[in-house]
Amino acid sequence: MSKILGIDLGTTNSAMAIVEGGEPKIIENKEGARTTPSVVSKNKSGERLVGVIAKRQAITNPQNTIFSVKRLIGRNFSDSEVQKDKSLLPYEIRERQDGGVEVKLGDGWTTPQEVSAMILQKLKQDAEDKLGEKITDAIITCPAYFDDSQRKATKIAGEIAGLNVLRVINEPTAAALAYGLNKQKNHQIVVYDFGGGTFDISVLEVGEDTVEVKGTGGDTHLGGDDFDQKVMNWIVEEFKKEQGVDLSKDTLGLQRIKEAAEKAKIELSTSMETEINLPFVTSTDTGPKHLLLKISRAQLENMVGDYIEKSISLVKQTLKEVKLEPKDIEEVVLVGGQTRMPKIQEEIKKLFGKEPNREINPDEVVAIGAAIQGGVLRGDVKDVLLLDVTPLSLGLETLGGVNTILIAKNTTVPTSKSQVFSTAADNQPSVEIHVLQGERPMANDNKTLGRFILDGIPAALRGIPQIEVVFDIDANGILNVSAKDKATNKSQSIRIEGTSGLSKDEIEKMRKDAEAHAEQDAKKKELIESKNIAENLIYTVEKTLAEAGDKIPEDKKKAVQEKIEDLKKAKNDDNIEEIKKKTEELSGIAQQVGAELYKQTQQASSQSEESKKKEEEKPKDAEEGEYKEQN
Amino acid sequence: METQNNKENTPTELEECQKIRDEYLAGWQRCRADFLNYKKEESQRAAELINFAKTNWALEILLVIDNFERAMQHKPGPEICLEWVKGVELIEGQLKEFLKSEGVEEIKAMGEEFNPEFHEAIGETENSTRDSGIVAEVLEKGYTINGKLLRPAKVKVAK
Repeated sequence: MSKILGIDLGTTNSAMAIVEGGEPKIIENKEGARTTPSVVSKNKSGERLVGVIAKRQAITNPQNTIFSVKRLIGRNFSDSEVQKDKSLLPYEIRERQDGGVEVKLGDGWTTPQEVSAMILQKLKQDAEDKLGEKITDAIITCPAYFDDSQRKATKIAGEIAGLNVLRVINEPTAAALAYGLNKQKNHQIVVYDFGGGTFDISVLEVGEDTVEVKGTGGDTHLGGDDFDQKVMNWIVEEFKKEQGVDLSKDTLGLQRIKEAAEKAKIELSTSMETEINLPFVTSTDTGPKHLLLKISRAQLENMVGDYIEKSISLVKQTLKEVKLEPKDIEEVVLVGGQTRMPKIQEEIKKLFGKEPNREINPDEVVAIGAAIQGGVLRGDVKDVLLLDVTPLSLGLETLGGVNTILIAKNTTVPTSKSQVFSTAADNQPSVEIHVLQGERPMANDNKTLGRFILDGIPAALRGIPQIEVVFDIDANGILNVSAKDKATNKSQSIRIEGTSGLSKDEIEKMRKDAEAHAEQDAKKKELIESKNIAENLIYTVEKTLAEAGDKIPEDKKKAVQEKIEDLKKAKNDDNIEEIKKKTEELSGIAQQVGAELYKQTQQASSQSEESKKKEEEKPKDAEEGEYKEQN
Repeated sequence: METQNNKENTPTELEECQKIRDEYLAGWQRCRADFLNYKKEESQRAAELINFAKTNWALEILLVIDNFERAMQHKPGPEICLEWVKGVELIEGQLKEFLKSEGVEEIKAMGEEFNPEFHEAIGETENSTRDSGIVAEVLEKGYTINGKLLRPAKVKVAK
């Protein structure tokens, strides 16, 4: 039986994976990319283009470049969704005789499933070229809210592409499968899928051998692209303020800004601040103009805050519809590139009170899950060969109370490692083997799994005896540690059960502890974070001044503005203590102003409450962000 | 006697088989775990290799930075100094030369027929001197590396 291709046929991008050697693996397309734009075009000479090539020529050929066809597949022309999209899409759409939809491609009319088939055909072809073997069977994913006709159309698309579609499975189910969550019976799972152009929420319930979709929600016109647009608008605005030049009409300038905006957004997922540097972005009568802007994570979060809030309230709404509370949810899975944003992860964590699953690349997790489903059908993924990994490192205490790691975390078990140690003092008759679990460099900071003594070591100078220590973990997570004096062959050993029996929270805590102690990084981060807090405060206070400025006495207002300037200055000087001090001062005076406003009107009071609340909440959020960063 | 013997033998044979089965399974699991660990180590090694390869690039680019810094020490006044401009041009040449030696080549675009394999259309333009479908303006050059597309040229195409 040939390999089964798992395909995530997305609205904006598609991806594919197979199971090889029992492990799922993304397959790159012919262009070398791990995802393929879901775009199809016919150029003027009637040649069919699919993927990134079709995308590149879209602007010269908008009427013949079909994208987002997934929004149309299996739908009736009269559907309100179709009517809405019809006005947004640049290509022609009309009603078919049977009430379905067809789109104009080249000289003829074609159905959405035929267009999807062209994408699938490219994926199939590229996979065959890459793997050097024929692909006939496939699993294709679709959104959980797809109805029967949409699923049927998806299946037909696969068949037109020459694929034998074994199953059409739900995207959220595939994502849950990728994390192996289908094994936990009676668990409720929420899949939060923030893609490029769509936002989907699904609530799943794992039963006996089934994963049932309990409810779906979301917004079919909200995605990461909207975030980019916000950043773009900000850049154009800032440039206009600084240089007086409007770049919104400049094709090339805008193109560069668009790329820079997306790049900045991505960088701010891993760093607190980034630079947008576009020299010679445009030129005027007075010469060339350069664009150089700094943007912080806090600024980005402020820009897109509404979108994130909206997504969270949609999650709440979906939960309400299926009569569940956030606390009823055992697992949360993140899908889609936009979920890399720390703020989104933080909000999700806040809502559900637990860490979401996000270890698998969120752009690829659906395709991976589809491939795993294929692997299960084909019998590739056998339970006896599903192996665990060690969640934390295992080691022993050595001279000076140091934790020497023998088996590093994330090593697949069963495995065994050995290392030769020696004595620390002359004529040392025995050694103690202190077995440790954890990531901290000093032994005392880790968990003791057990200890034993190997004695009877013949008198010798320190460093001469050779003690071979072997760590062996079997497939059930049972650790055997043995120590043998090579001179006498005398040995001792210990058997430790349940090394992997730690709960997810315990493991998480221990990892967190280790990370929290990466001193220098923490210092640096503290600076940037205090800057972020300061910036947030400045933002809130300035907002309050702008909104309720007329109600604040002139002298108070001046004092607040002075404090703002002070803080801004401290922020630029990179002095943590100074920033913290000034932040407190500003926060204090802002509270006074708030109290005054409170006295004045009921309405004004609610605003100051809000700003007070924000101040209290932000530092905590920043701390959580720090941990995630390092993870 | 014979039947009794058989009765005693059967469980031992089964036990023997079970023992062998357990050994095989354990061996299979270990082999598989070794393979997975090997794969992890290998991807780590690859990442290190990439980092190492980057150092050579960085060294070459530092030479260019050095020269830029030299140029900036001699910033011209309000009147543009020809010699200075010439210097900056030399630095540009240096950088291009290095990229060329690494297999980075410019993609021909101007006046060529638009080809989305190598060109990305940013817009269309009315151009009487060029036929329709011909690249009429190059906004950003595209490059290949060792024959593979590095990034497409950003172009405007004649209507």
